[in-house]
Amino acid sequence: MLHIGNAQIPTCGGLTRRSFLQVGAAGLAGLNLPDFLSMKAAGAVDESKAEVKNCIMLFLVGSPGHLDTWDLKPNAPADVRGPFKPIKTKAPGIDICEHLPLMAKLADKYSLIRSLFHTSSAVHGSGHQWMMTGHGFNNGDPHPHAGSVIARVFGQKSALPPSIILPGKVGAVGDNLGERAQTAAYLGSAYNPFFLGADPAKSDFKIANLSPQAGQTEFRINSRRKLLAELDAIQQQVENASTVAHDTAYQRAFSLITAPETKKAFDLSEEKDSVRDRYGRNTFGASCLLSRRLIERGVRFVTINHFDTVFSIACWDMHADGGSLNNTVQDYERHLLPQFDQAYSALLTDLDERGLLKETVVATLSEMGRTPKINGKGGRDHYPPCWTNFLAGGNIKGGQVIGASDKNGAVPHDYPIDPPRVLATIYQGMGVDLDQVMMPGPGSRPIRLIDAEPIPELF
Amino acid sequence: MDQVFEGTPKADIRLEGRKVIRGEVSNDWASRLQWKISHNGKVIATAPARADLDYEHPGTEAGAYEVVLEMWKYEGFKAKDHGKFVEISNKVAYTV
Repeated sequence: MLHIGNAQIPTCGGLTRRSFLQVGAAGLAGLNLPDFLSMKAAGAVDESKAEVKNCIMLFLVGSPGHLDTWDLKPNAPADVRGPFKPIKTKAPGIDICEHLPLMAKLADKYSLIRSLFHTSSAVHGSGHQWMMTGHGFNNGDPHPHAGSVIARVFGQKSALPPSIILPGKVGAVGDNLGERAQTAAYLGSAYNPFFLGADPAKSDFKIANLSPQAGQTEFRINSRRKLLAELDAIQQQVENASTVAHDTAYQRAFSLITAPETKKAFDLSEEKDSVRDRYGRNTFGASCLLSRRLIERGVRFVTINHFDTVFSIACWDMHADGGSLNNTVQDYERHLLPQFDQAYSALLTDLDERGLLKETVVATLSEMGRTPKINGKGGRDHYPPCWTNFLAGGNIKGGQVIGASDKNGAVPHDYPIDPPRVLATIYQGMGVDLDQVMMPGPGSRPIRLIDAEPIPELF
Repeated sequence: MDQVFEGTPKADIRLEGRKVIRGEVSNDWASRLQWKISHNGKVIATAPARADLDYEHPGTEAGAYEVVLEMWKYEGFKAKDHGKFVEISNKVAYTV
């Protein structure tokens, strides 16, 4: 038997008695398809049975060089191994970069996948497609972001949206292939992620999208809600799925503006200074801290884009080109690796201390790796044939290395893993039974969340 | 959006023999943190300071040693090297 959200539906093997009774009961109660979908949109999977409910996705836009971070090759030639040295970690036999000393102390909590690859073009957008959705977009047809999938499967459990992206949407990366990788695609606009669109590290941090405009009182907001409800009642006489989607989107928007817990969730000033220092007083650190607050308050899936562009900003895209992509190993050593090291370690530790790590998958992903051979200017360029990402939390076992790259980090030498398997592992790590739970695909036909098997060694 | 770094980091350091010990960093930008060691007024070494709260420089050459904590300050993509190291603690000194 299969489920759409928490709705059991028939398989190709035929309609089961139980699902027949359920659908029949819905029919007898006068529920039509939009009603049914609306119920699912507003409702959720039976949470009481779900031990793992949340995911925080740290997306390292630009792609760190795997040979400079989590898959060092100290015995490779100098123009491959680079300047950084490996250090031992808490997990026996696992070494990582010397500039990640805090992560090294927590290696029993995460598992590295060192044999990732994809065969699409070596541009950021194709990596966004694969790693944010688990799909390449054939003919440009988008698939939903993982956060939208989870929003659809689990539903909303507070006034906050089930999927939030911090601090902003990924913008200019030199191609537009990934533009729609951060949408709900065929799941409908009700499941689009909410984009924060503000920097939580700023001392005057406010969310422009949530703060009513000057002079807009609660009375006016509620009056608008009432008027909109009346318009909706008229609109819903034309019954279709998009009406349901918009209905849910409106409700979500009003909940966001009016619910007191919304503002509280985003108020980092409630945190002790020592906690804010622990995460780091910067955009990424503050975003990680905010993600913990949002998960605590019912958000299902938080994505943190570590950088919203690769141009004219010190970021992971280490081409060292002398122009707008002039990121170097010095930027890694002085800025990027320490910043990630501190925020990631604080996040894992904080979640663990609060009992949240066991119910929250923390997935650190990137579009691809970087060329094994250092380029003529000291940088590394795009390289999707091999790279390293890592997973922690939820049902996922830490302290492991899955797969291996060859002696120069050029190709998976052992156990190649493609992006759909990572997404499948995240979903299973969140407690989703991929053989049972389905979602409406293009044309509303039921489809699996992802056509891939999870990595069994991680469970 | 370019990155924001809030506040100004600060830490106190003290000596126990030749071992230098730091407290927690307030307003921590979370960029590279390192000990800067000078000998007779000339910088002779830097050492990473994130992983541990203490450090003892192995140098035994006679003279005056001074130690201070410094942190990388990102000043923007257009800045030379994208930033520079700035001192964030008091200085301590000892003589060999």
